Amino acid sequence: MTVTLNHCLGLAAVIFVTGMAGFIVRRNAIVMLMCIELMLSAVNIVFAAFARQHADAGGHVFVLMNFAVAAAEAAIGLAILVEIYRRRRTVDVDELKTLME
Amino acid sequence: MHSPETQTVVQESLLRWIVLLPLLGAAINGLLNRRLPRAAAGAVACGAVGLSFVLSVVAFLRLAALPAGERLLADIVAPWLGYGPLRVDIGFALDPLSAVMALVVTGVGLLIHIYSLGYMSHDKGFQRFFTYLNLFIFSMMTLVLGENLLMLFVGWEGVGLCSYLLISFWFNEEANAAAGKKAFIVNRVGDFGFLIGTFLLGVTLLPHLEPGEGLFSFRVMQHHAHVLAPVATVIGLLLFVGATGKSAQIPLYIWLPDAMAGPTPVSALIHAATMVTAGVYMIARMNFVYVLAPTAMEVVTIVGAATAVLAATIATTQNDIKRVLAYSTVSQLGYMVMACGLGAFAAGIFHVMTHAFFKALLFLGSGSVIHAMSGEQDMRVMGGLAKKLPITFWTFLAGTFAIAGVFPLAGFFSKDEILWKAFSSDGGGVALWLVAFLVAGLTAFYMMRLVVLTFHGTNRASQEVRHHIHESPLSMTLPLVVLAVLSVAGGWIGWPAFLGGSNHFEHWLAPVFADGGHGAAAAAHHGGEALAHGAAAAHGAADHAGDHGHVALERGLAAASLAWGLLGLSLGYLVYSRRTKVADTMRGLAGGWPYRILLNKYYVDEAYDGAIIRPGFRFSRTVLWKGVDAGVIDGLLVNGSALVVAVIGSLLRLLQNGLVRFYAWSFTVGVAVFVVYLSLKG
Amino acid sequence: MEAFLFWSCGALMVLGGVMMVLQRSAVVAALWLVFAFIAASGVFAVLHAPFLAIMQVLVYAGAIMVLFLFVIMMLQGPVMEGERKRMALPLWPAAAIPPLAVLVLVGAWVSQRTPEPLRTALPDGFGGPRDVAAALLGRYLLAFELISVVLLVAIVGALALGHGERKAS
Repeated sequence: MTVTLNHCLGLAAVIFVTGMAGFIVRRNAIVMLMCIELMLSAVNIVFAAFARQHADAGGHVFVLMNFAVAAAEAAIGLAILVEIYRRRRTVDVDELKTLME
Repeated sequence: MHSPETQTVVQESLLRWIVLLPLLGAAINGLLNRRLPRAAAGAVACGAVGLSFVLSVVAFLRLAALPAGERLLADIVAPWLGYGPLRVDIGFALDPLSAVMALVVTGVGLLIHIYSLGYMSHDKGFQRFFTYLNLFIFSMMTLVLGENLLMLFVGWEGVGLCSYLLISFWFNEEANAAAGKKAFIVNRVGDFGFLIGTFLLGVTLLPHLEPGEGLFSFRVMQHHAHVLAPVATVIGLLLFVGATGKSAQIPLYIWLPDAMAGPTPVSALIHAATMVTAGVYMIARMNFVYVLAPTAMEVVTIVGAATAVLAATIATTQNDIKRVLAYSTVSQLGYMVMACGLGAFAAGIFHVMTHAFFKALLFLGSGSVIHAMSGEQDMRVMGGLAKKLPITFWTFLAGTFAIAGVFPLAGFFSKDEILWKAFSSDGGGVALWLVAFLVAGLTAFYMMRLVVLTFHGTNRASQEVRHHIHESPLSMTLPLVVLAVLSVAGGWIGWPAFLGGSNHFEHWLAPVFADGGHGAAAAAHHGGEALAHGAAAAHGAADHAGDHGHVALERGLAAASLAWGLLGLSLGYLVYSRRTKVADTMRGLAGGWPYRILLNKYYVDEAYDGAIIRPGFRFSRTVLWKGVDAGVIDGLLVNGSALVVAVIGSLLRLLQNGLVRFYAWSFTVGVAVFVVYLSLKG
Repeated sequence: MEAFLFWSCGALMVLGGVMMVLQRSAVVAALWLVFAFIAASGVFAVLHAPFLAIMQVLVYAGAIMVLFLFVIMMLQGPVMEGERKRMALPLWPAAAIPPLAVLVLVGAWVSQRTPEPLRTALPDGFGGPRDVAAALLGRYLLAFELISVVLLVAIVGALALGHGERKAS
């Protein structure tokens, strides 16, 4: 069974939805950030698949850009979480409801 | 006349300073207000207007140095509107007509500024007063020097605003504030017509413009006047509605007598000498439209004549010294408007100028009297002031003789010119001449009545007031003297041909009114060329009139009007100073109903009140306020829209629950919906 | 061979992701995510992206996940108190339906496409460091610079966040 582009897209969709569901279900902000990383990875797979299909290294460049974005997001997100934890002693997003209404 | 075959326009950036200096003065006085000492405020205001006057003279001399057909200075400051073919500039232009007006406005304005230094010296609002005065001069100069009709309109509205501000200057008294409002509102009615006329003019003219031509520029409009022919009557009448408001003609004259609530220098400057002549100036300025519209001209003539009679009759019975002068002003404005209606624009403007001199003089004289009488304005308690106020008396007398048309004072020439045109023009005739003649006699009569009641006999005021009577300070008497000289000699520049003169004034204005004196259509077609030719033609026409135009008849009519004026003067003197048989008969009449009608000004105010104002109030109260405002706007729109927002908000508030995961969930729902949309779209 | 590698790595990656979501302990979840990322590097290798496969291990599984683990250990114990409580039963379907719907819809959409086998005729050295570097520093130079700006901003932001706390305390 040869691998088709559709298979790559399907795999990426499954992984992406896994991350999505995790983001909705989990209350731990750190795990939610990790779910975002998973979703980004799914996107990376799509990029790589299309890069191969078009024989164009441009897709790889965007994956690298995604790496950078993921790294930046992780750094900032975690810094914010640390800051929140210092003030509120929790990273449970359901407790962080001060923006309600 | 931007078109190539016409003359080049001389750029003269002096003009903007004539206009802007008073604005600068107003800004200084207005911003610093009480922080500025009185002396400084007065110096700034008078200096600004004085400089403006000097610059006007310089500009006038430069204009006069040009050949007669090319007398036009322009100062385009900046583009104002520019959209497609629509182009209007902020700019000023000086031609013989606006030069006359500029000199009169700044000259008389300067004298009245100086007079105000004395008159207002004890007033708390000294700085504010001069701010408004300077602002008025600025607006009036914009009106007079504006290069296009929109600039004129800016000035037109500006003087209306200043008039309002100055009428209700002592706003602590309700009557003054009401008078200001009345003037403003009545003028708005006229402005409405003016604006509609302006729009109609613009719409008609716009398709015919060549690239680069300013839409409302007077020269351009004049150049293309022939395309206006089909709508000239409508435009002329609409613009005239504006003129009836500003120049106090029937039916909108009612605000001017009430405007006397303002300080007397204001009455002199705005409500006699300058602003109220704006309508006459506008008609003269738009002469190229009016000559295309005989019907409009006829209406203008009739309204002017009717106003002259109506106001003159009312003036014979009023007891307030300023009201007499106010009605006299309305009557004289009727004269000017009538002259314009007859196509005798030069005669109308000539009367504008002489009238500015002697009416300003009379108002300032009455101000001097009121000043001396501690604010009293009722002539019935005056009398015998001639000895106490010698300068005021003699200058006032000069003004009276001038307005009565006594030879060789200023009024004689301008009034006689108008009378002659009323007799000899195509639109005039014996009947019109008789009406104007009657008004001349009435004018002489009521002016003499005023003089006698005020200056003659014994003083009827209370002991205390009588004790305070004193001649006014130099700052007030000096303008009186200057204006008296002008009232005596100001008419000599228009010394008519039939008395051996050559009427420089008419020749000076001839290029502007070339179309009027000549075949209108032909002149309009030839544009600028026609200006030069027209000037020559007007010369010819004037000489023509002198040669073949019944010199004897003209002399005879002049003599008749002179005699009639003197008769009016003597009658006024007889009736109000001595008990004679004639006087008794007249007095007998005075008790009757004609007298009461006149005293109550023909009940025009009451009629307006009943016909327009009260129904308007009732309509506003029941329908507009209770129905539209409270019901629809407040109830339905304001509260209703707030209610809708509140309901939607209370629903949306449920979504804003602060749970990040809920937001993510909604986001996912959105993604699902979006994917459905994409797949449906294919 | 390629198909086998693709499906096994893909399955491992899905497994890693699912286990990460289901694990209550944040530390264990992070380790499962590392597992998924390593599997992802296998997927990259199958897709002829050797450079990305290596970077995935080095940057993602290495650097970024170490940062996560570090923060998790710094903040709290292995399991968060609030997550011990189960989610109330009626809420489960509500939470699960939208992601499932997305999955079904995307799947349906993808399956509509005519399947095209992945290209096999690729230039020499495709996806290698030289190839990627040529693209990165040639056509995509601006994107490359933007990446550096993003990282710079992230560094400054992280420093500012940490610094402000020190000042306050």
